[in-house]
Amino acid sequence: MKILNIKSTVIFCLLAITQISLIAQSYKLPNYTTFKLSNGLTVYLMEQHDVPVISLSAIVAAGAIYDGENPGLASLTAAALMHSTQNFSKAKIDEEIDFIGANINTYASKEFAGLSAKFASKDSDKVLKIFKEIMLNPTFNSEEFDKEKSRLLVELEQKKESPRAVIGSYFDKLIYGNHVYGNVISGTTTSVEKLAVNDVKDFYENNYLPNESAICIVGDFSSKEMKSTITKLFSGWKKRNIVRANVFDATVKVPSKNNVLLVNKDDANETTFYIGSTGISRNNPDFVAISVVNTLFGGRFTSMLNDELRVNSGLTYGASSRFSTLKNAGTFYISTFTAKETTQEAIDKALEVLKSLHQNGIDEKALTSAKNYVKGQFPPDYETTDQLARLLSEMFWYNFDASFINNFENNVNSLDLSKANNIIATYFPKDNLQFVLVGKASEIKPIAEKYGDVTVVEIKD
Amino acid sequence: MKKIILVAFVLSAFVLKAQMKVDDVKTFTLTNGMKFLVVEDFSIPNANMYLFYKVGSRNEYQGITGLSHFFEHMMFNGAKKYGPKQFDQTMEFNGGANNAYTTENVTVYTNWFPASAAEVIFDLESDRIASLSIDPEMVESERGVVLSERSTGLENSPWRLLSQSLQATAFQEHPYHWPVIGYEDDMKNWTQQDLERYFKTYYAPNNCVVVVSGALKFEEVKRLAEKYLQPIPAQTAPPKVHIVEPKQTGERRITVQKEVTNPYLMIGYKTPESKHEDYYALNILSSILSRGKSSRLYASLVDNQQLATMVFTDYGDSFDPNLFNFYAVANKNVSSESIEKAIYFEIEKVKNEGISETELQKVKNQKLMEFYNQIETIDGKSNNIGTYEVFFGDYKKMFNAPENYNKVTVTDVQNVAKKYFSKSNRTVGVLKTNVEE
Repeated sequence: MKILNIKSTVIFCLLAITQISLIAQSYKLPNYTTFKLSNGLTVYLMEQHDVPVISLSAIVAAGAIYDGENPGLASLTAAALMHSTQNFSKAKIDEEIDFIGANINTYASKEFAGLSAKFASKDSDKVLKIFKEIMLNPTFNSEEFDKEKSRLLVELEQKKESPRAVIGSYFDKLIYGNHVYGNVISGTTTSVEKLAVNDVKDFYENNYLPNESAICIVGDFSSKEMKSTITKLFSGWKKRNIVRANVFDATVKVPSKNNVLLVNKDDANETTFYIGSTGISRNNPDFVAISVVNTLFGGRFTSMLNDELRVNSGLTYGASSRFSTLKNAGTFYISTFTAKETTQEAIDKALEVLKSLHQNGIDEKALTSAKNYVKGQFPPDYETTDQLARLLSEMFWYNFDASFINNFENNVNSLDLSKANNIIATYFPKDNLQFVLVGKASEIKPIAEKYGDVTVVEIKD
Repeated sequence: MKKIILVAFVLSAFVLKAQMKVDDVKTFTLTNGMKFLVVEDFSIPNANMYLFYKVGSRNEYQGITGLSHFFEHMMFNGAKKYGPKQFDQTMEFNGGANNAYTTENVTVYTNWFPASAAEVIFDLESDRIASLSIDPEMVESERGVVLSERSTGLENSPWRLLSQSLQATAFQEHPYHWPVIGYEDDMKNWTQQDLERYFKTYYAPNNCVVVVSGALKFEEVKRLAEKYLQPIPAQTAPPKVHIVEPKQTGERRITVQKEVTNPYLMIGYKTPESKHEDYYALNILSSILSRGKSSRLYASLVDNQQLATMVFTDYGDSFDPNLFNFYAVANKNVSSESIEKAIYFEIEKVKNEGISETELQKVKNQKLMEFYNQIETIDGKSNNIGTYEVFFGDYKKMFNAPENYNKVTVTDVQNVAKKYFSKSNRTVGVLKTNVEE
């Protein structure tokens, strides 16, 4: 079945949340245990026996912020973990994993690298053994590396065929500038071109450290047995004292004027754009309150943005807003797209809605609706073993605990109108806005100039 | 998180731990012909409602192409009790969210809500099914929305343009000829009468299957259905789609221009509908060819020969005979001809030498994991049950699926490859920048 056409693309921000008060009991996080191995590796275990599967999410402090002079290095290193290990060739890993219907993925995000897996519980021993090999004993086969790299170079070119696929990186660069949070996870063709298999080996040696990592396992197993299995498999991971640059320390500059980055795509029929500024970090004490207010502004189908740009005016298929959070900083952006001819109308409308949020605030009825909505949509976010494993690894990385889940409903309920209106004034940008427009520069540049100082770059560069 | 596991999907060596029986799905049919399938699951305090209407772009004709999908949008734009915007506003105020999608075959509406809001959801659905009001102003603004949806699809993926062109070439008479989103000119010209007629013909309770899963008792679902949906009168059954695509008698080829780094290739072979006896063998064949890095096409084209950066196949569910599609993107300095040849080489290998028992077992193991993933959520349950009911004619067929997959032998897979993967039965599409060379 091809699912071609979907009514609402609206992306639910930060978190999508659930449940209406009266009858239903609130959602509580199932019990889990956590312990540390002597090498500093943190382990989380949560039993869930309803379906005979296990999900695993490992997290290592080895994301793109550690790329240094080599954009794309963290990401390529994560991919190269699967290329070969002491005891398995790449073909053997692929075969074994596919045969049992399991999957193992490795990736780098902005801040951390991750390995995730899902498999039938009866295959636990087999998968964990491979998983350990990938994580601790990768051998970085150079032939496989070359193949991966050349594939990546083509993919980087192909990404430029889709404005939606690249706009986020441009926006991060515009907001974060030279801060490591501006690093582009996948790198660029120029930077990836220069990478060699030894760079990947070095990156692994210097950044994959047990003392800054966690393994989170959720599913159909006995915690006691799993604890002993994991202890056996991962105790040999050597703790090393490597001093790394403290990449988190630098502060992110708040913009002092409007800027427009215009990304030229000659064959564009649409203009895809972000408007925003700096945002909040994941540990912001107002995290939940901000997500409730953002739900009203641009986080659901009836949000102010989608209502104005889609429902009232038919300018776009969808408009939304989002606070994207990291450990020490974040961004806020409005995101939408429209036909080339309606570029100005859509930007103006988006700005009007933002202005109206500041001028008129929100009312009691809207706030109640948003609170009901975030509570109502919360439990399905933590329904599967993979969702729960991911949650545990985020708890480790961002340093929060089960109270986030267990107090969620109370935190939502305690948000009153005056606090909500304060949240708007404090966290939603009002001026010095940053714009990224991906579209046909020869036609939309005069429009772009109305919103700030314009820099034009080519999408093909 | 599930307490109830729906489906027996016991593949060869494996026995599922949890108890699974056909009785976990309870059903009733209202006097107006609307059928309900219900699964109680109290693992989270939420529930969902999936409404499958048997209408899609195959029910259209030229002049009104895209209307099924447009109608899907209009179902959110106001009825008698809940006017424009109020459907979404009311649902969200009560903690619910919704979406919908349209395919060639069906239009599906999905509601996700806290179980305590069930009554509101039934009231909302009842209102729009019984008395949708088609406001001309809403029609105009919604027209802009779907035009933007069409445009953004084309803007962000070359596959959209290539697949709709290939589809139009493979099907010359059957309505699978046009894209679900419609022709741009038709999209600008649908009339109020078209919409009203469409509503009356296809949005009848007897043309709809409803699945409800989650923290609701069967009796409660039945009570709400009888109260809110039973009063809606049945309609005469919609006209049958009578066009049968004539047999293809020779290879068809098309080229499409778009600014891309490397060429995109698509090959579609005519294959039968979901109810056909070859369905399971073809489905297995698709996995053997392209699922996972050890699959034949990935291992050969992407990994060993490095001819393509990606390759995949797709054999979807459909009411009428449709296509088994191959998709590939060329690597740098590789022509579409080379990847096309490499795909044929792999196809011929299956036709001549068949597949191994190990490969067959691998796919059966993968099907089991797929099944586990589907039953982990209440949404997976509703979607699965509804799909079997609609595409295979009976949700109970889900319980026969394991047996049907297990019955497939290596010879069956070889035979379907021989039967359908012939030159004269295929359509080949290439999308690239320079189409003059």
